[in-house]
Amino acid sequence: MKRYLLYSIPLALLWCFVHGDVTILNFLFGLVLGPFVIRPFKSLYKFDKEVSFKDATARIPKEIKYFVILIIEIAKASIAVGKVVIQPKIDIKPGIIAVPIDSKTNLGITAIANTITLTPGTLTLDVSDDRSVLYVHCIDASDPDDIRESIRNDLEKYTLEAFE
Amino acid sequence: MSEISTVLDILSNIVLIIGLIFVFLGMLGLLRLPDVYNRMHATTKIGTLGAFCVMLSILLKVGFTPMGVKALTVGLFLLLTAPIAAHMIGRAAHRHGVKLCKESIIDEYGKSYK
Repeated sequence: MKRYLLYSIPLALLWCFVHGDVTILNFLFGLVLGPFVIRPFKSLYKFDKEVSFKDATARIPKEIKYFVILIIEIAKASIAVGKVVIQPKIDIKPGIIAVPIDSKTNLGITAIANTITLTPGTLTLDVSDDRSVLYVHCIDASDPDDIRESIRNDLEKYTLEAFE
Repeated sequence: MSEISTVLDILSNIVLIIGLIFVFLGMLGLLRLPDVYNRMHATTKIGTLGAFCVMLSILLKVGFTPMGVKALTVGLFLLLTAPIAAHMIGRAAHRHGVKLCKESIIDEYGKSYK
């Protein structure tokens, strides 16, 4: 019961935002609707793992930090791709490289894959079957080791902190 | 009070123009880049930022009214879903045998499945 309540809170907030009016009444109504959404998708939630309100709230600052970094990276990415696009002659060296990752959970892998897609010059194509390698398409793949390093050190650090 | 709303109005228009410039660059990239993977770079990244800027401009114009809050929600959902769409299109294209463009220098994905 406690878990249903805990997992309903984000859904209730989402309900408020989609509805448009952020009020206590709407939030409570969202809280009532939450379990009806969670029940059919029970296998996606971690019902076997011990969770607490304290644990979930302790992570919020790190998630905000991750979100700010994500926005900055997206802006940089768009400017970088924009520069490539407006060149008179397009001069790129694209390629697909394999990037090993440390993330183990589904949420962690999803987060790092989405982050890679939204950051400069890289686009996630697939995860290997043993879930240890991401295949990343790079718009400039002239130095694969450098790209691997930057993904592991700059991006994965923040997603690991925020989502695992 | 009216000064604040004027400033917000101007800011909103600036953000709208920035967003439209990014959307334009994204479409230019879609036309000019050589193959499906490079084109996806243009549409996901620039398109996402462009649409997000347009949504932000709506939020700045109308404030935290129901419409503004909905615009913000749509923007956040774009950030969440655009990469997943790109991921699935790229994966499907590669598995269906769409070749990388001739400028490509490395392909470590091709040998991982067969």
